Amino acid sequence: MTGTLLYDNLNTYLFISVFLLCCGILGILYRRTLIGMLVSVELILNGAGLNFVAFNRFISQENAYGMIFTLFIMGIAAVEAAIALAIIILIFRKFRHIEGSEIKEMKG
Amino acid sequence: MVGALMTVLSGSIIYAMVGLVTTMFGIAGLYIYLNAPFLGMMQILIYVGAISILIAFAIMLAGPLYKKPKEWTTGTKFIVSLITALFSFFVLSKIIVRSFWLQATVNPFTVSTKDIGRVLFDKLMLPFELISLLITIGIIGAIMLALFSKGEK
Repeated sequence: MTGTLLYDNLNTYLFISVFLLCCGILGILYRRTLIGMLVSVELILNGAGLNFVAFNRFISQENAYGMIFTLFIMGIAAVEAAIALAIIILIFRKFRHIEGSEIKEMKG
Repeated sequence: MVGALMTVLSGSIIYAMVGLVTTMFGIAGLYIYLNAPFLGMMQILIYVGAISILIAFAIMLAGPLYKKPKEWTTGTKFIVSLITALFSFFVLSKIIVRSFWLQATVNPFTVSTKDIGRVLFDKLMLPFELISLLITIGIIGAIMLALFSKGEK
């Protein structure tokens, strides 16, 4: 029954969300296209939501605020994805590519 | 976790999207393990259903990416970002290991959808309305951005 013990542990979930956060950081730094960066931001937000639900499950069990906060995070992530994709489409119309490191219009 | 690595490290961006979907399914499974099946269902609906479709549309609209499918950048940039990610990973995991969380006894703890809705409309009415307002403004803003910039160009 080691599987159930592993899944009843708070640290497991914390490690998973730290892993997601680091994957997101790596993706943001390393991806060249803007869509790749957007996907990485989604990973980071999911790590945060997983943390909220895990703490709600293991630390404060008397209410469900963590889950509701995760719902809010999901809504904000949806809005953020929509707006970022609109901006990406604008940038594509203007520059004909979506590579973040080669947008030099606003470089001082 | 395999999905997350695939998301970050894959060369083509289509594979990155597939990796994102895999990760979202994994996290939905974890939510169900955490006795939050409503959140798992919402995760699948929102992320797998909505956001990945949105990203797929953006990939298709953003033109011929398949001409240069590999986006391996220079090695130094990859190494620097890898060092940053690994450093933050080790620092945060050391914090996790050292910290002592007062772990509650694991009760059979189930929050039903009814409880979530009751709390949402009872105590958290104002944030709920603010989120809906934010979503409306965001959608209108995205439509305005996509529509009215064509004339100015």
